[in-house]
Amino acid sequence: MSDTPSAGTQPTVAEKVFDFVDERVGLKLLTAKMLNEAVPGGSRWAYVFGSILLFIFAMQAVTGVLLMFYYVPTADHAYASTQYILHDVDYGWFLLSYHFWGSSAMVVCVFAHMSQVFLWGAYKKPRELIWVVGLALFALVMAFGFTGYLLPWDQRAYWATTVGVEIIDKVPVLGDFLARFLKGGATPGQMTLSRFFVIHVMVLPAALIGLAGLHLFLFRCAGPAGPFRGTPTELKAKTDYFFPRQIWKDIVGMAVVFSCIGVLAFWEPVVLLDEATPDPGDYHPEPEWYFLFIFQHLRLKMFSGQFGQFLGSIAFPGALGVMLLLLPFFDRNPERNIFKRPLALIGWVVLTASILLFTVSAIINRSYLD
Amino acid sequence: MNDHMSPAKLGFGILWPAFWTALPFKLVLVVLFLAFGVVQFENRIVYAFLMLLASPVTVFALPTITLGLGSHIGEGIGIALLFLLAVPIDVWALGVVGRTFFLERLRREPPGGLGLTLWWKCALVGAIFVPILWATESAVTDGGILAVHSIFESDSLKGIPIAERISTELSLWGTLSTVVLLVLLVIGFSLVGRVIRGTVESAGHAPENYQGLVTRWDLMRVPADQGLMLAALSGVAVVLSVLFWSSLPVFTPHPHDCCRKPEVQAAPSFKPLETLNKDEKMIAHLAAQVELLVEQRAKIELEKQRSKKKGKEAGEGVLEAPEATEPAQPAAMNP
Repeated sequence: MSDTPSAGTQPTVAEKVFDFVDERVGLKLLTAKMLNEAVPGGSRWAYVFGSILLFIFAMQAVTGVLLMFYYVPTADHAYASTQYILHDVDYGWFLLSYHFWGSSAMVVCVFAHMSQVFLWGAYKKPRELIWVVGLALFALVMAFGFTGYLLPWDQRAYWATTVGVEIIDKVPVLGDFLARFLKGGATPGQMTLSRFFVIHVMVLPAALIGLAGLHLFLFRCAGPAGPFRGTPTELKAKTDYFFPRQIWKDIVGMAVVFSCIGVLAFWEPVVLLDEATPDPGDYHPEPEWYFLFIFQHLRLKMFSGQFGQFLGSIAFPGALGVMLLLLPFFDRNPERNIFKRPLALIGWVVLTASILLFTVSAIINRSYLD
Repeated sequence: MNDHMSPAKLGFGILWPAFWTALPFKLVLVVLFLAFGVVQFENRIVYAFLMLLASPVTVFALPTITLGLGSHIGEGIGIALLFLLAVPIDVWALGVVGRTFFLERLRREPPGGLGLTLWWKCALVGAIFVPILWATESAVTDGGILAVHSIFESDSLKGIPIAERISTELSLWGTLSTVVLLVLLVIGFSLVGRVIRGTVESAGHAPENYQGLVTRWDLMRVPADQGLMLAALSGVAVVLSVLFWSSLPVFTPHPHDCCRKPEVQAAPSFKPLETLNKDEKMIAHLAAQVELLVEQRAKIELEKQRSKKKGKEAGEGVLEAPEATEPAQPAAMNP
């Protein structure tokens, strides 16, 4: 839209509306600040993950609201209403499958975004706070996955939650309280479902919106870190504004993610197991795939027994979380090139390979259970 | 100019961004074809998907693998159609990426028809090398799994718990398989780099300084008429959205046992005039049968009366003979 009408021509209705709003809220200044942000070294595909995460969250919100029109969060009707969505609501199967795979895509993109920030050394001074808030957002995404998994109220949901709450129970001091608070009784039931539903649709979205806003604000204050390689001349030559090139890349990235989730919704649409009961029957309880690596390493002999389970489920993941939290405060070396930070590179490779190894092991382990 | 770039780096530098440039367009096609129901993947879904999307090197290799090695990946005209439509997309993507790469990394003048040249060279290398890669990787992985299994089947290692055994086995054969795959990929990229090196060497040096080159490849991607581009893209997006939602199945293609919908059989169409004529014929037929029955019954009654008269005449003590036959009920009277 042109900012000012040329001399001698009448402004169009759109221009009048724009000017009206601009006079009151400073729209031109806001737009300029939002779009004309310098991106050192130019736009890159590696930078699209943050925008993609916002897009996935928006899509999860839209599909979630549509699903809530039909979903009944009671132990008596949760399963039936989910089956109703899958079998009787027009396009309900696609919406539910999209929502289901969207949550997995969110976990994958959070991991990709965090990996990019870590490998690029973008958590270092002056971006420590962005990293810390990002970690909190990562925890929220995992909590979204955990609470949403119970809602269909089938055997898979019920037992994944039971396993998850048992792990929470092992947290020292607060564990018992948290587990009782989440379950609301001796076994998962109506109170559990109500609490998970409220946390999933109210508490977590509000927290995520607030923290994502803070994350963006801090990011805009510090500015993008840019690539870790390249001479100052090369970086200066390629430096560009956020609009239009980075926005274009972000849009393409969003289209790719939308298509991938759509393809997965077709290939593996949500199919519920039998309705939840306190008797697992033939079903072997296991959590959602992004918690499988923790679940599998708890099967190792070294993590057997009360203390071993505590080590495997709480102490080691907790220590990793604390290490990540404190990383920017300990790593004061200004060097950002990942190939000149061998410890960081090896650490990332080992962590990623371990997650992959234990996740695939858990999948192979299923055949031994049957 | 970077004249000392290794062939592997050259091949990777072209193929990797070309794959990502073409990916969004191919993904949109995949989603549409799935919604139309013209693609059904069967086995090795992930391989098939990746190979379809990496089509500059798999466009000839995938059919070879499918036919030669018996790796049936799926059915439906959509797979062939996707390959066909992927060709112009890949030619375009390789053109855009190639021109940028020539200017920015090699600082050489990109020759005309670069996209097509790169495409046929990549396709040629892929047609020969990818089936070899596929066969080698499959053999190494299968052999690795067998070998590791046999080691863990030995008496000395049988006591290892299941979880430890799975993770150790996976680490061993997974590492072997990954290393072989990486080596083969480097060889593949190197082959592509060697094949396209001739095109690079025949290209002249670009005259501008670095800033000038960056500006040139950057502006090369900006359409002359941006308004038209935006309108065209929006139009395409709207058409694709309409196509997608109109072809998307309304109900789940994978119903749960509890909720299978009963098969509804369409009621035969009702034609009043034909039905009336048919009913009239039936009524006439039934009326004739009733008339026949009445006549038969009257005859029987008459016979009875006659035989009674004869019996009385013959004297007392003679038993009355039972009725020989009852008239058969007409078929039309059956329930």
